Amino acid sequence: MPARILVIDDEPNILATLAPLLRSRGYEVTTAMSGRAALEAIERENPDLIVLDLGLPDMDGVDVTRLVRDGRSTPIVVLSARGAEGDKVRALDAGADDYVTKPFGTEELLARVRVALRRTEPAPPSSGPIISGSLVIDRERFRVIRDGQEVRLTPKEFELLTFFAQHPGRVLTHRAILKAIWGPHAVDQPEHLRVLVGSLRKKLEPDPSSPRYILTEPWVGYRFADAAADRPTQA
Amino acid sequence: MLAVALTAALLRSLPGVVPTTVGLALLLVVLVTATFARLSIAIVVAIVATAAFNFFFFPPIGTLTIADPQNWVAVVAFLVTAVIASHLSATAQARTREAVTRRNEVTRLFDLSRDVLLTTETTGALDVLARHIARRFELGSVAIYLPSDGAWHVHQGGATAITVDERQLDTTLATARGTLEFDARQRAYGGHASGVDEAGGPVRLIPLRHGTRAIGILAVGGDALELGTLDAIAGVAAIAIERAQFLGEREAAELVRQKADLASTLLATLSHDLRTPLTAIRVAVENLRSDLPSDTRREQVRAALSELDRLTRLFQDILDMARIDASAIRIDRQWVTPADIVDAAAAQVRHQLEGRTLRVSADAETEVAIDPMLTSAALAHLLENAAQYSPHGHPVTVTARADDSGLRVSVEDEGPGLDPGELEHLFERFYRGKAARQASFGTGMGLAITRGLLIAEGGQVWAENVPHRGARFTIAVPGAVRAVAAME
Repeated sequence: MPARILVIDDEPNILATLAPLLRSRGYEVTTAMSGRAALEAIERENPDLIVLDLGLPDMDGVDVTRLVRDGRSTPIVVLSARGAEGDKVRALDAGADDYVTKPFGTEELLARVRVALRRTEPAPPSSGPIISGSLVIDRERFRVIRDGQEVRLTPKEFELLTFFAQHPGRVLTHRAILKAIWGPHAVDQPEHLRVLVGSLRKKLEPDPSSPRYILTEPWVGYRFADAAADRPTQA
Repeated sequence: MLAVALTAALLRSLPGVVPTTVGLALLLVVLVTATFARLSIAIVVAIVATAAFNFFFFPPIGTLTIADPQNWVAVVAFLVTAVIASHLSATAQARTREAVTRRNEVTRLFDLSRDVLLTTETTGALDVLARHIARRFELGSVAIYLPSDGAWHVHQGGATAITVDERQLDTTLATARGTLEFDARQRAYGGHASGVDEAGGPVRLIPLRHGTRAIGILAVGGDALELGTLDAIAGVAAIAIERAQFLGEREAAELVRQKADLASTLLATLSHDLRTPLTAIRVAVENLRSDLPSDTRREQVRAALSELDRLTRLFQDILDMARIDASAIRIDRQWVTPADIVDAAAAQVRHQLEGRTLRVSADAETEVAIDPMLTSAALAHLLENAAQYSPHGHPVTVTARADDSGLRVSVEDEGPGLDPGELEHLFERFYRGKAARQASFGTGMGLAITRGLLIAEGGQVWAENVPHRGARFTIAVPGAVRAVAAME
C-alpha cells in the first residue's frame, strides 16, 4: 500500500507543484491550506507523513506540530525559510522529524520524505551491531570498526556515535542530543556537544574538516549521514 | 543741601532748642542722603551739616568760630559720626546693588540654560545658542568661535556681527589651553583676553571650557558685562555645545540604526516573498522533466508562470522603491481624463482583480494635466490593496473626478476596514496590515510606493474608514483642469 502524505501549505502554487511531484513517486497525496484544515485532515485521514509549511495564515506551524505530537507519532517534515533557523529548531524540538529550506530541489525533499517514512518501519533491534556503510558499531563489545580497523572511543564518544547511528539521515537538534547523552539538565550547554563531536570526528572521519559521517546542520544540530539515503525505498 | 538748610531753618525758628536735638536731626538728614545717594555726596552733605551746626547753633552764633572747647568736641564727634554712618550706609547700598546684579545674572543664566536644554534640534543649534546669549544678556554682538580642522567656525548671535582676527583667536585658545588658574575676585578662570574686532571696537574673548578643556572661544562685543558673568555664560555655552554635538551623534547613530532596521526588514520581506515563487517554479520545472499526464504538465506550466508574474511584480516594486529613494522620478504631465487613469490602473492589476467586481464612476468629460504613468501606477497599488482586503463577491468602488485643484480618485472596499492604530503606519514601508500578516500576501511596499509616487508628483494619499462598509483610500493630484475639446 502506498504511503499517504498530507501536504500543508497556504500557497496554492506550492501545493499545485508538490502534489504531482509526490504522486509521481507513488505516494498518495492530500493537501490542506490552513492549520485548522490540516488538523481536521489528520484526524480524518491519519496520513503516514506530514509535510508542513511553518508560515500558515491561521496558526503557527510549531503549534500544529505540537498538536499533532499530542497523541500521534506521524513523521513531520517541515518546510521553512532560510534565516528562520529559530523556527526550525522550535519545530524540531516540538517533535518535527526533519526540515527542508525553501527554495528546495525535488530530490532534497524526496530524500527527507524517504528518511522520515523509514522511521515508521520497525525499529532496528536495540542490541547487536549497527552497520552504516563502512562503519560497524558493535554495541555489545563497545567496539567501532571503520574500514576493517578498530577505532578507539571514550565511553561518551561511543554513546554519541551510537545515538547518531540509531537515527541515520535524520536531523538531531543540539537540544535533543544533549538531552539524550547528558540528560535534561545539560540542554543549555551546547559547548559539551561541540567538543565531543570534534573529538569523535577526529577519530572517525577520514578528513575531519569535511566530515562524511557526522554532518553539521548550521544553527540547528547534526545529521548522521544515511548510507541508504541515495536509494529510494519506495517503489 | 536743601534738606540741611530747611532743617537748620526749622530748628532755628524753634524756641529753646538744644544742640543735641539739632545734632540728631541733622545726622538723620545725612543718613537719609547716604541711603539714596553716592558716598561722596553723603560726605559733602555731612560736612555742610557740620558747618551749619556750628554756624547756627554754637555760640558765637552766626560765625564758624567756636568759643566753647566742649562744642569743638561736639562738632568733631558729629562730623565723624556722619561720615562713618554715610560710609556704612553706602556700603550696604553697594551690597544690595551687587546682590540685585548677581540675582539678575543668575536669572539670566538660568534662562539661558533653559533655552539650551529646550533646544532639541541639532542643525543650527549653535546659531540659536549665540542668539539666546545675545537676547538674555542684551548684548549687541556675540559670536561663538569653534576650531575645526585648523579653521574657525563662527556662529553669530547679536544684531551686529563680530569679526575677530583668526590669529588672535589662535593665540587666545593656545593661552587658554595653557592657563587654568581661577581668579576668585573676578570669579573667572584665566585665559580670557581683550581684543579688537576688525572695526576696531573692543571685544572680550572668553575661552569656552568643558570641564577644564578649552573647546572654543566666546567673543562678546563691548564691555557691558563683568568677567565673572562672561565666564559663567561661557560655561553654559560650552555645555550647550557639547550637548549639541552629543545630540548630533545620537541622531547619526539613530539614522544608522534605522537604515539597518530597514535593511533587515527588506531582507525578511524578500526572503519571504522570494522563497515561495522560487520553490514553486523550481519544483514545477523539475516536474516537467519527468513523465506526467498532459493536464498535470499544463498545471505545472500555469503554476510556474503565475509565480513568475509574482516575482516580476515584486521586482517592479523594489525598482519603484529604489527610484523613489533616489528621487529619480521624472514628471511628465499630459492632458488625460480621470477615466483614462482608472482604466490604465485597472489594466496593470488585471490578474489581482480577477474574480472581483470593479464598480467605476469616472469623469470622461474633463481633462487634467498630470503624469498619467505615475498616477495610474499609484492608483494600481490601491486597487490591488482593495482587492486583497475585499471579501470575494464584494465589489471595489472607484470614483474618479476632476475638481478645481486637480484629480481626485477614491477607492472603497467592503473589507474589514482599517484599525485606527494602523492609520499612521499604513503608508510606511514594509508595514503590512493585520490581515496581510495573517494571510501572508503583499510585500508591504504597495502603499509606500503609492505615497512615494504621489509625493513626487506633488499629490497626496490618505485613508479612512467608511462607516459600515470598509476602507476608503483617496488620492489627490494637483494639476490644471479643462473640459474635453468637442470633437470637430
